[in-house]
Amino acid sequence: MDQSKKEEGSIEEPLDLIRLSLDERIFVKMRQDRELRGKLHAYDQHLNMILSNVEETIKVVEKDEETDEEIVKNIKRNIDMLFVRGDGVILISPPLRTS
Amino acid sequence: MLFYSFYKTLVGKEITVELKNDLSITGLLQSVDQFLNIKLKDVRVEEEDKYPYMLSVKNCFIRGSVVRYVHLPASEVDVETLQDHSRLEAREQKKAQQQ
Amino acid sequence: MSFGNASLCDEVDKKLIVVLRDGKKFIGVMRTFDQFANIILQDTIERIYVGDKYSDKHLGVFFIRGDTVVILGEIDPDKEVKEKKLTKVSWEEINLAQQAEREKLQQMEQTKRRIMTESGLTIDSILNLDDF
Repeated sequence: MDQSKKEEGSIEEPLDLIRLSLDERIFVKMRQDRELRGKLHAYDQHLNMILSNVEETIKVVEKDEETDEEIVKNIKRNIDMLFVRGDGVILISPPLRTS
Repeated sequence: MLFYSFYKTLVGKEITVELKNDLSITGLLQSVDQFLNIKLKDVRVEEEDKYPYMLSVKNCFIRGSVVRYVHLPASEVDVETLQDHSRLEAREQKKAQQQ
Repeated sequence: MSFGNASLCDEVDKKLIVVLRDGKKFIGVMRTFDQFANIILQDTIERIYVGDKYSDKHLGVFFIRGDTVVILGEIDPDKEVKEKKLTKVSWEEINLAQQAEREKLQQMEQTKRRIMTESGLTIDSILNLDDF
Protein backbone atom coordinates (compact mmCIF):
# COMPACT_ATOMS: atom_id res chain seq x y z
CA MET A 1 0.00 0.00 0.00
CA ASP A 2 1.07 3.53 -0.74
CA GLN A 3 2.66 5.03 2.38
CA SER A 4 0.69 8.27 2.25
CA LYS A 5 -2.64 6.49 1.71
CA LYS A 6 -1.91 4.26 4.67
CA GLU A 7 -1.24 7.31 6.80
CA GLU A 8 -4.54 8.88 5.86
CA GLY A 9 -7.01 6.11 6.54
CA SER A 10 -5.82 3.39 8.88
CA ILE A 11 -5.35 3.31 12.63
CA GLU A 12 -1.99 1.98 13.78
CA GLU A 13 -1.64 3.77 17.08
CA PRO A 14 -4.08 5.43 19.50
CA LEU A 15 -3.40 8.98 18.35
CA ASP A 16 -4.47 8.07 14.78
CA LEU A 17 -8.01 7.88 16.07
CA ILE A 18 -7.76 11.47 17.25
CA ARG A 19 -6.30 12.58 13.91
CA LEU A 20 -9.18 10.99 12.03
CA SER A 21 -11.60 12.88 14.29
CA LEU A 22 -10.33 16.31 13.18
CA ASP A 23 -13.20 18.50 11.96
CA GLU A 24 -15.68 16.14 13.66
CA ARG A 25 -17.65 16.41 16.89
CA ILE A 26 -16.08 14.36 19.66
CA PHE A 27 -16.87 13.48 23.26
CA VAL A 28 -14.23 14.12 25.92
CA LYS A 29 -14.37 12.93 29.51
CA MET A 30 -12.36 15.12 31.82
CA ARG A 31 -11.19 14.94 35.42
CA GLN A 32 -13.29 16.53 38.16
CA ASP A 33 -16.54 15.09 36.75
CA ARG A 34 -16.62 17.16 33.58
CA GLU A 35 -17.59 16.16 30.07
CA LEU A 36 -17.17 18.05 26.79
CA ARG A 37 -18.82 17.73 23.42
CA GLY A 38 -17.39 19.79 20.58
CA LYS A 39 -15.83 19.90 17.16
CA LEU A 40 -12.11 19.05 17.16
CA HIS A 41 -9.81 21.47 15.34
CA ALA A 42 -6.37 20.81 16.81
CA TYR A 43 -4.52 18.38 19.05
CA ASP A 44 -0.97 17.40 19.99
CA GLN A 45 0.74 14.37 21.58
CA HIS A 46 -0.18 15.56 25.10
CA LEU A 47 -3.86 15.59 24.05
CA ASN A 48 -4.00 19.35 24.35
CA MET A 49 -6.93 20.24 22.08
CA ILE A 50 -8.92 23.06 20.56
CA LEU A 51 -12.67 22.48 20.29
CA SER A 52 -15.42 24.72 18.92
CA ASN A 53 -19.13 24.97 19.78
CA VAL A 54 -18.42 23.19 23.03
CA GLU A 55 -21.05 22.02 25.46
CA GLU A 56 -19.60 21.31 28.88
CA THR A 57 -21.47 19.22 31.44
CA ILE A 58 -20.36 19.35 35.08
CA LYS A 59 -21.79 16.94 37.61
CA VAL A 60 -22.48 18.48 41.02
CA VAL A 61 -24.25 17.23 44.12
CA GLU A 62 -26.99 19.49 45.44
CA LYS A 63 -29.43 19.27 48.26
CA ASP A 64 -33.07 19.05 47.16
CA GLU A 65 -34.95 21.84 48.97
CA GLU A 66 -38.11 19.80 49.54
CA THR A 67 -36.97 16.30 50.35
CA ASP A 68 -33.62 17.34 51.90
CA GLU A 69 -32.07 14.60 49.80
CA GLU A 70 -28.78 15.01 47.97
CA ILE A 71 -29.11 14.64 44.23
CA VAL A 72 -26.68 14.65 41.34
CA LYS A 73 -27.27 17.58 39.03
CA ASN A 74 -25.86 18.37 35.61
CA ILE A 75 -24.75 21.93 34.97
CA LYS A 76 -24.33 22.79 31.30
CA ARG A 77 -22.63 25.71 29.61
CA ASN A 78 -21.65 26.57 26.05
CA ILE A 79 -18.29 27.92 24.90
CA ASP A 80 -17.53 29.09 21.32
CA MET A 81 -13.86 28.20 21.14
CA LEU A 82 -11.99 26.34 23.84
CA PHE A 83 -8.42 25.21 24.44
CA VAL A 84 -8.34 22.09 26.62
CA ARG A 85 -5.17 21.14 28.47
CA GLY A 86 -4.32 17.49 27.85
CA ASP A 87 -3.44 16.51 31.43
CA GLY A 88 -7.12 16.77 32.41
CA VAL A 89 -8.32 14.37 29.73
CA ILE A 90 -9.49 10.88 30.74
CA LEU A 91 -10.98 9.61 27.47
CA ILE A 92 -11.86 10.74 23.98
CA SER A 93 -14.57 9.16 21.88
CA PRO A 94 -15.00 9.89 18.16
CA PRO A 95 -18.42 10.36 16.52
CA LEU A 96 -20.39 7.22 15.69
CA ARG A 97 -19.84 6.24 12.08
CA THR A 98 -22.72 4.47 10.42
CA SER A 99 -21.08 3.79 7.08
CA MET B 1 5.03 23.28 19.26
CA LEU B 2 1.65 23.63 17.55
CA PHE B 3 -0.10 25.27 20.47
CA TYR B 4 2.91 27.42 21.35
CA SER B 5 2.88 28.83 17.79
CA PHE B 6 -0.89 29.19 17.96
CA TYR B 7 -0.79 31.20 21.19
CA LYS B 8 1.85 33.49 19.71
CA THR B 9 -0.71 34.54 17.09
CA LEU B 10 -3.09 35.54 19.90
CA VAL B 11 -0.72 37.96 21.67
CA GLY B 12 -2.56 41.18 22.48
CA LYS B 13 -6.00 39.53 22.30
CA GLU B 14 -8.32 38.99 25.24
CA ILE B 15 -8.55 35.44 26.58
CA THR B 16 -10.01 33.82 29.69
CA VAL B 17 -7.85 31.27 31.47
CA GLU B 18 -9.73 28.80 33.64
CA LEU B 19 -7.53 27.13 36.25
CA LYS B 20 -7.89 23.68 37.80
CA ASN B 21 -8.85 25.36 41.10
CA ASP B 22 -11.85 26.96 39.31
CA LEU B 23 -10.40 30.49 39.26
CA SER B 24 -11.11 32.21 35.90
CA ILE B 25 -8.79 35.04 34.91
CA THR B 26 -9.56 37.28 31.91
CA GLY B 27 -6.90 39.52 30.43
CA LEU B 28 -4.84 40.47 27.40
CA LEU B 29 -2.36 37.78 26.39
CA GLN B 30 1.07 39.31 26.87
CA SER B 31 3.33 36.34 26.22
CA VAL B 32 3.56 32.56 26.19
CA ASP B 33 6.43 30.04 26.28
CA GLN B 34 6.93 26.42 25.21
CA PHE B 35 5.49 25.07 28.48
CA LEU B 36 2.37 27.10 27.66
CA ASN B 37 2.98 29.27 30.71
CA ILE B 38 0.92 32.38 30.10
CA LYS B 39 1.35 36.03 31.03
CA LEU B 40 -1.77 38.18 31.14
CA LYS B 41 -2.09 41.98 31.30
CA ASP B 42 -4.91 44.06 32.86
CA VAL B 43 -6.56 41.05 34.47
CA ARG B 44 -9.99 40.72 36.03
CA VAL B 45 -11.62 37.71 37.64
CA GLU B 46 -15.16 36.42 37.88
CA GLU B 47 -16.55 36.22 41.42
CA GLU B 48 -14.05 38.70 42.88
CA ASP B 49 -15.38 38.16 46.41
CA LYS B 50 -14.34 34.54 46.28
CA TYR B 51 -10.79 35.43 45.28
CA PRO B 52 -9.87 38.57 47.31
CA TYR B 53 -6.16 38.04 46.64
CA MET B 54 -6.71 38.88 42.96
CA LEU B 55 -8.07 42.36 43.79
CA SER B 56 -4.67 44.04 43.76
CA VAL B 57 -3.24 42.09 40.82
CA LYS B 58 -2.87 43.85 37.48
CA ASN B 59 -0.56 41.55 35.55
CA CYS B 60 0.07 37.90 36.22
CA PHE B 61 2.07 34.84 35.26
CA ILE B 62 0.11 31.58 35.12
CA ARG B 63 1.94 28.26 35.22
CA GLY B 64 0.89 26.17 32.21
CA SER B 65 0.38 23.02 34.26
CA VAL B 66 -2.43 24.54 36.35
CA VAL B 67 -4.57 25.50 33.35
CA ARG B 68 -7.77 23.55 32.72
CA TYR B 69 -9.22 25.52 29.79
CA VAL B 70 -8.55 28.67 27.85
CA HIS B 71 -11.58 30.41 26.36
CA LEU B 72 -10.48 31.79 22.98
CA PRO B 73 -11.89 34.55 20.77
CA ALA B 74 -13.51 32.46 18.02
CA SER B 75 -13.03 35.18 15.39
CA GLU B 76 -9.25 35.02 15.84
CA VAL B 77 -8.99 31.27 15.31
CA ASP B 78 -8.48 29.84 11.83
CA VAL B 79 -9.70 26.27 12.22
CA GLU B 80 -8.58 25.14 8.74
CA THR B 81 -4.98 26.10 9.42
CA LEU B 82 -5.11 24.44 12.84
CA GLN B 83 -6.35 21.17 11.37
CA ASP B 84 -3.67 21.19 8.67
CA HIS B 85 -0.97 21.87 11.24
CA SER B 86 -2.27 19.11 13.50
CA ARG B 87 -2.04 16.57 10.66
CA LEU B 88 1.39 17.85 9.72
CA GLU B 89 2.69 17.57 13.26
CA ALA B 90 1.24 14.06 13.64
CA ARG B 91 3.07 13.00 10.47
CA GLU B 92 6.36 14.50 11.64
CA GLN B 93 6.01 12.81 15.01
CA LYS B 94 5.51 9.43 13.36
CA LYS B 95 8.51 9.93 11.12
CA ALA B 96 10.64 10.80 14.13
CA GLN B 97 9.46 7.64 15.90
CA GLN B 98 10.30 5.39 12.97
CA GLN B 99 13.86 6.64 12.78
CA MET C 1 17.48 30.92 28.64
CA SER C 2 14.90 28.36 27.57
CA PHE C 3 12.09 30.19 29.28
CA GLY C 4 10.80 31.65 26.05
CA ASN C 5 8.79 34.81 25.93
CA ALA C 6 6.88 34.34 29.16
CA SER C 7 10.00 35.03 31.16
CA LEU C 8 9.78 36.56 34.60
CA CYS C 9 12.42 39.22 33.83
CA ASP C 10 9.97 42.09 34.12
CA GLU C 11 8.87 40.91 37.55
CA VAL C 12 12.32 40.98 39.16
CA ASP C 13 12.46 43.39 42.14
CA LYS C 14 8.68 43.81 42.05
CA LYS C 15 6.18 43.02 44.78
CA LEU C 16 4.34 39.83 43.89
CA ILE C 17 1.65 37.63 45.32
CA VAL C 18 2.45 33.96 44.82
CA VAL C 19 -0.43 31.48 44.97
CA LEU C 20 0.60 27.86 45.58
CA ARG C 21 -1.24 24.67 44.68
CA ASP C 22 -2.27 24.04 48.28
CA GLY C 23 -3.93 27.49 48.33
CA LYS C 24 -1.24 29.25 50.40
CA LYS C 25 -0.49 32.85 49.45
CA PHE C 26 2.88 34.54 49.88
CA ILE C 27 3.59 38.21 49.23
CA GLY C 28 7.11 39.51 48.78
CA VAL C 29 9.67 41.08 46.49
CA MET C 30 10.97 38.65 43.86
CA ARG C 31 14.75 38.86 43.64
CA THR C 32 15.54 36.06 41.17
CA PHE C 33 14.04 33.18 39.18
CA ASP C 34 15.07 30.33 36.86
CA GLN C 35 13.63 28.34 33.94
CA PHE C 36 11.54 26.15 36.29
CA ALA C 37 9.87 29.27 37.75
CA ASN C 38 11.68 28.60 41.04
CA ILE C 39 11.84 31.99 42.74
CA ILE C 40 13.44 33.79 45.69
CA LEU C 41 11.14 36.11 47.61
CA GLN C 42 12.42 38.73 50.05
CA ASP C 43 10.48 40.28 52.97
CA THR C 44 7.92 37.53 52.53
CA ILE C 45 4.65 37.51 54.38
CA GLU C 46 2.10 34.73 54.35
CA ARG C 47 -1.44 36.05 54.01
CA ILE C 48 -4.56 34.02 54.79
CA TYR C 49 -7.96 35.15 53.56
CA VAL C 50 -11.24 33.80 54.90
CA GLY C 51 -14.40 35.54 53.69
CA ASP C 52 -13.83 39.29 54.13
CA LYS C 53 -11.08 38.85 56.75
CA TYR C 54 -7.35 38.46 56.36
CA SER C 55 -4.19 38.23 58.42
CA ASP C 56 -0.45 38.44 57.75
CA LYS C 57 2.59 36.68 59.20
CA HIS C 58 6.14 37.89 58.53
CA LEU C 59 8.47 35.14 57.41
CA GLY C 60 11.57 36.65 55.73
CA VAL C 61 13.42 35.18 52.74
CA PHE C 62 11.81 32.30 50.85
CA PHE C 63 12.83 29.93 48.09
CA ILE C 64 9.68 28.69 46.34
CA ARG C 65 9.82 25.64 44.11
CA GLY C 66 8.34 26.30 40.67
CA ASP C 67 6.17 23.22 40.43
CA THR C 68 4.10 24.29 43.44
CA VAL C 69 3.25 27.66 41.90
CA VAL C 70 -0.19 28.36 40.45
CA ILE C 71 0.12 32.05 39.66
CA LEU C 72 2.49 34.93 40.23
CA GLY C 73 0.57 38.21 40.37
CA GLU C 74 2.22 41.58 40.14
CA ILE C 75 0.72 43.81 42.83
CA ASP C 76 -0.43 47.15 41.48
CA PRO C 77 -0.18 49.85 44.19
CA ASP C 78 -3.22 51.63 42.70
CA LYS C 79 -5.36 48.53 42.94
CA GLU C 80 -4.00 47.52 46.35
CA VAL C 81 -6.28 50.17 47.92
CA LYS C 82 -9.27 48.04 46.97
CA GLU C 83 -8.15 45.40 49.44
CA LYS C 84 -8.65 47.88 52.27
CA LYS C 85 -12.32 46.97 52.48
CA LEU C 86 -11.23 43.66 54.02
CA THR C 87 -10.76 43.58 57.78
CA LYS C 88 -7.44 42.60 59.28
CA VAL C 89 -7.69 40.18 62.19
CA SER C 90 -5.17 38.34 64.36
CA TRP C 91 -3.26 35.31 63.07
CA GLU C 92 -4.93 33.07 65.65
CA GLU C 93 -8.41 34.20 64.62
CA ILE C 94 -7.75 33.66 60.92
CA ASN C 95 -6.36 30.19 61.59
CA LEU C 96 -9.50 29.16 63.43
CA ALA C 97 -11.71 30.60 60.68
CA GLN C 98 -9.66 28.79 58.03
CA GLN C 99 -9.93 25.50 59.84
CA ALA C 100 -13.71 25.83 60.07
CA GLU C 101 -13.89 26.69 56.37
CA ARG C 102 -11.71 23.70 55.46
CA GLU C 103 -13.80 21.27 57.47
CA LYS C 104 -16.95 22.54 55.78
CA LEU C 105 -15.41 22.11 52.33
CA GLN C 106 -14.07 18.67 53.16
CA GLN C 107 -17.47 17.54 54.33
CA MET C 108 -19.12 18.79 51.15
CA GLU C 109 -16.51 17.02 49.04
CA GLN C 110 -17.01 13.75 50.93
CA THR C 111 -20.78 13.91 50.51
CA LYS C 112 -20.34 14.51 46.79
CA ARG C 113 -17.93 11.59 46.43
CA ARG C 114 -20.27 9.27 48.31
CA ILE C 115 -23.36 10.23 46.30
CA MET C 116 -21.52 10.03 42.98
CA THR C 117 -19.92 6.68 43.73
CA GLU C 118 -23.23 5.25 44.89
CA SER C 119 -24.81 6.38 41.65
CA GLY C 120 -21.99 4.75 39.71
CA LEU C 121 -21.42 8.02 37.90
CA THR C 122 -17.76 8.72 38.16
CA ILE C 123 -14.47 6.94 38.25
CA ASP C 124 -12.63 9.95 39.68
CA SER C 125 -13.57 8.97 43.20
CA ILE C 126 -12.19 5.48 42.81
CA LEU C 127 -9.01 6.36 40.98
CA ASN C 128 -8.45 9.41 43.16
CA LEU C 129 -7.51 11.40 40.09
CA ASP C 130 -8.23 14.75 41.59
CA ASP C 131 -4.86 15.85 42.86
CA PHE C 132 -4.18 19.28 41.51
